[in-house]
Amino acid sequence: MPKKNKDVKIFCDITKCVACRTCELACATEHSVSKDVYKLLKEDEQPKRRVRVSATPNESISIHCQHCKDAPCVAACMSGAMHKDEKSSATMHDKEKCVGCWMCVMACPFGAIVRDVKNRIAVKCDLCPDRDDYACVAACPTKALFAGTEEDFKKTLKEKRAKKR
Amino acid sequence: MSEYVIIGASAAGLSCCEAIREKDKKGKITIISDEKEMLYSRCLLTYLIGDKIGRDGLKFKADDFYKKHNIDAMHGVKAVMLDIKKKTVKLDNGKAVEFDKLLIATGATPKKVGIEGEGLKGVFSLRSIADAEGIISMVNDCDTAAILGGGLIGLRDAYALRLRGKKVKVVVKSSQILSQMLDKDAADIIEEKLTKEGIEVIKGLAAKKIKGKGKVAAVELEDGSEIECQMVIIGKGVSTNLNFAKEAGIKVETGIVADEYMQTSAKDVYTAGDVAEALDITTGLHRNNSVWPVAVEQGHCAGHNMAGNKTPYEGSCMMNATDFFGLPVVSIGITKPKGTGYEELTVKNSKEKVYKKIVLKDNIIRGIILLTEIANAGVYGILLKKRIDISPIKDRLLDDNFDYAKILHIVKERADKFGKAEFKETTITL
Ligand SMILES: Cc1cc2nc3c(=O)[nH]c(=O)nc-3n(C[C@H](O)[C@H](O)[C@H](O)COP(=O)(O)OP(=O)(O)OC[C@H]3O[C@@H](n4cnc5c(N)ncnc54)[C@H](O)[C@@H]3O)c2cc1C
Ligand code: SF4
Ligand code: SF4
Repeated sequence: MPKKNKDVKIFCDITKCVACRTCELACATEHSVSKDVYKLLKEDEQPKRRVRVSATPNESISIHCQHCKDAPCVAACMSGAMHKDEKSSATMHDKEKCVGCWMCVMACPFGAIVRDVKNRIAVKCDLCPDRDDYACVAACPTKALFAGTEEDFKKTLKEKRAKKR
Repeated sequence: MSEYVIIGASAAGLSCCEAIREKDKKGKITIISDEKEMLYSRCLLTYLIGDKIGRDGLKFKADDFYKKHNIDAMHGVKAVMLDIKKKTVKLDNGKAVEFDKLLIATGATPKKVGIEGEGLKGVFSLRSIADAEGIISMVNDCDTAAILGGGLIGLRDAYALRLRGKKVKVVVKSSQILSQMLDKDAADIIEEKLTKEGIEVIKGLAAKKIKGKGKVAAVELEDGSEIECQMVIIGKGVSTNLNFAKEAGIKVETGIVADEYMQTSAKDVYTAGDVAEALDITTGLHRNNSVWPVAVEQGHCAGHNMAGNKTPYEGSCMMNATDFFGLPVVSIGITKPKGTGYEELTVKNSKEKVYKKIVLKDNIIRGIILLTEIANAGVYGILLKKRIDISPIKDRLLDDNFDYAKILHIVKERADKFGKAEFKETTITL
């Protein structure tokens, strides 16, 4: 999947997620200084994961930023830090501009924004700008995670299910 | 080709321009602001005073915003008269502009307290860059500052000056701070934090007069006691800038009355932001919800309608978030219900400064307060906004692990309410 495709986001196949939380670790690692899971334990600042796995008695899901079209977090952001990327239409965050007012946290209906308390800035899914693929998707052992558009996701699901039969 | 004129170039006005341009790339857009400074966010002014950001940090839009959106911007010019019939706006520079569609987004102005000494040097209120610069220019000569009013902006002022090492005393008439935003339990937890960080809060007393010869020397309170201080900041709330509309014969109450499409009582004249009185979803009534996100959303909605893309306004509610010395707080909707039929769910752990409260009526969330643990504020918020019957999850609403996963089934079942792609896409495999 080429990176700058429009409307790409991460989807979670709830039927496959087993709540192992590997995506959380992969995300935190990707957003650390060393990008190395062993070295990062020694880093001054513990990196923040931007995805969160949540289980209910019946199912589990890896919750990601939905890169909403008219994103409530962007409307709420009073500093202009939260913005839509023109090319990819992803919702991006400029940490230089962020003042840590948490208006975006209040506005996100998915609870997809994490507070970096130490630096007093918001942190969210940035679709891994430093790599060609997506850390969480690459790491998911059950292949529950998928990066692409809604159409891509539905198509892949169909194909997978056809194979099963 | 349509001609759009926007009055007020802040949250609502600029968001309106963006929405117009989503639809109409060619129409002529003229934006008029009586402020010289462009593209800055007034919410950030206390961060400037607190030396957390520089002047450049105030900008919430890129410098080339006007150019990129092909907008004719007139800053430092005031709109003085509106003729609804002729569809013209007269400006204070002698010129006039014509419009097909007009947006009035003139915002609000700080209220005065109406006490003696309000005109002394060293007395401020905070709304514009000019106000902030006034405050900053006197910071070095100030040892103690008195803040009159315990609302959000007053306390933000207090916080900023405290970060600058000033002694700060906040005078609040009511028996709690943040009385518009929080209940007493939550307010008391925040007050304790402020006190610990060196901000003194004096409650239940109003200021009687500001004393000084030419400049501020003290504030005298109702009970005769005095606060010696070199600066006074008044944070008594705002009143809407509605004269421009009122004089043109447009229907106003506490704000300019907007219909379902953010149009005023005059055809082709729209309104948005702090000045607008529009649908409030928690009460079903019209009111001013004077906060940034609402101004942006209303401006956006008005812009769509002005450009011919008929879009009803979903309605808004009061909402605010902030952080004092690392203590985050969120408040949405009705947090201090009056009248019957309300139910409150609360969790309180004063030691950890955790407080959560959900106000329900007929099992629909009407209000939310979250202190410290605010991560899922927006999940509660969307349940409130969509007026969802939460009975199936009522006993789990305040659990530590409550989050979006717990409402997945509701999202799927209520596709009528959660129609947007971002919601549907989370339940494809459910
Ligand atoms: C210090 C401070 C902190 C704040 N913090 C928060 C916060 O944390 N969260 C939050 O949600 N909100 C906050 N607010 C409120 C928020 O700033 C407002 O809700 C928002 O700015 C409203 O935007 P608006 O576009 O409706 O109006 P405004 O921002 O008031 O802009 C209106 C503009 O119109 C101009 N104007 C008025 N009349 C005329 C005329 N006749 N001709 C030309 N121009 C005219 C005004 O000068 C002004 O520039 C804060 C406000 C202040 C002052
Ligand atoms: S952070 Fe939340 S509101 Fe913003 S785009 Fe992502 S899912 Fe939408
Ligand atoms: S915390 Fe940062 S990104 Fe979020 S609304 Fe505030 S300034 Fe914007």
